[in-house]
Amino acid sequence: MIPQNFDYAAPSTIEEALELLADPEAKALAGGMSLIPLMKLRLAAPGRLVDLRRIAGLREIRQDDGALRIGALVTHSEIESSPLVRSRCPLLAETASHIGDLQVRNAGTIGGSIAHNDPAADYPAALFALEAKVKVAGKGTERTLPLEELVVDAMVTALEPGELITEVIVPVEAASTGTSYQKMRQPASGFAIVGVAARLEKSNGRIGSVRVGVTGLGPSGFRARRVEELLDGTAGSDGEIREAAAVVAEGVEANADLHASADYRRHLAQVFTVRAIRAALARAS
Amino acid sequence: MRITGSARIAAAAPEQIFRLLLDPAVLSKCLPGCEGLERTGEDEYRMRMKAVIGAVSGAFDGTVRLSDQKAPQSFRMAVEGSGRIGFVKGEGLLKLAGQDGGTEIAYDGEVQVGGMIASVGQRLLDATARMIIRRFFTRLSEEAGQ
Ligand SMILES: Cc1cc2nc3c(=O)[nH]c(=O)nc-3n(C[C@H](O)[C@H](O)[C@H](O)COP(=O)(O)OP(=O)(O)OC[C@H]3O[C@@H](n4cnc5c(N)ncnc54)[C@H](O)[C@@H]3O)c2cc1C
Repeated sequence: MIPQNFDYAAPSTIEEALELLADPEAKALAGGMSLIPLMKLRLAAPGRLVDLRRIAGLREIRQDDGALRIGALVTHSEIESSPLVRSRCPLLAETASHIGDLQVRNAGTIGGSIAHNDPAADYPAALFALEAKVKVAGKGTERTLPLEELVVDAMVTALEPGELITEVIVPVEAASTGTSYQKMRQPASGFAIVGVAARLEKSNGRIGSVRVGVTGLGPSGFRARRVEELLDGTAGSDGEIREAAAVVAEGVEANADLHASADYRRHLAQVFTVRAIRAALARAS
Repeated sequence: MRITGSARIAAAAPEQIFRLLLDPAVLSKCLPGCEGLERTGEDEYRMRMKAVIGAVSGAFDGTVRLSDQKAPQSFRMAVEGSGRIGFVKGEGLLKLAGQDGGTEIAYDGEVQVGGMIASVGQRLLDATARMIIRRFFTRLSEEAGQ
């Protein structure tokens, strides 16, 4: 349980960090919740850790132009308790509160979770429902891309070696928008066996602007567009919600592991989609 | 762990796909992390692989063996590899069928993963195996299109 020897650097600017990360032996360290255990088991053996936690600019949450910009190093518990996130993007705060246990939330970061792209991570459900964008910096480059383009497959992202996630951009929601995140947790770790986030608006008794994000079911999180289409414009009766939720797993190659078979996950996805939509509807005004 | 599924390659007929699948240069390009595939005998290759999956990375040394070749319809593939982080051993049947000018590849195999990687990564083994297979066929599809 002792990692292989490694160098350690804690730069104070993004530029310095990117410079250090140009070395293929170097690896970024954020909360360390995923990386450090892997190093202790020697499943990862980077020659140098580049600790991002001293980079002040990556720890801020700002509101700007109808969007919240959340620094990559903001921890799950900071998101959960931030008054700005709780009032402007409650779905994200609610989702953060469901991650792991308190120790994991105090150390783990949103950028680390997105970069790691665990198929059972909680954030992707909310971030897909929110159509989040991610800002990525490389040496001398910067780009902003939709999460959908960053996420490639289980544990795989479109990040180039040496690139860093610097910011996550989510919309500021109107107070009348209803949102909810519902998950089945794996009892030991807290990871989502299946998790579903829903956001929607209600006007004149009809549902509109529905977004549904799902995690745990497939290789990565995704937006359940078919569910959204079926629900959009309906009155949101129980029957209509069930009918829409019934297609959530269509076309998805469902995960299977010790905790849940593929069929069980598909079933759970329907159940939790119904719950998330119902709860979001009850909160919309 | 049982691995079954299928992939469709629109760009090429079974004859060409069969040839590509038996070409070590193509295989080493398509297998994620493959650093070299060297012919060691009739239908037998030595393979070096550096798997980088999320934050995990590890080198594997192993062999790939092909058998029961029935061109262009089917063959069996056996893969064995081991490294510091664990071992992988698998055997399966690949079947090729022509479909609208393209090829439908069906695979059915049994894979064992052991060592550290399996004891701590159990939750992710299935998702990771599928991910590697998808990436393999995506690249094969690109090769076939050229
Ligand atoms: C016991 C336990 C329970 C958990 N339960 C849950 C759960 O219920 N739900 C859930 O969603 N997650 C859970 N997690 C995972 C947790 O949320 C991690 O914090 C998260 O996955 C990784 O974030 P980190 O900041 O710790 O990243 P690290 O471990 O520091 O890094 C992870 C990977 O991302 C890379 N990286 C980090 N930051 C960046 C960046 N800004 N740009 C580019 N690459 C970067 C690193 O190089 C590394 O490869 C759990 C973890 C543990 C240990």
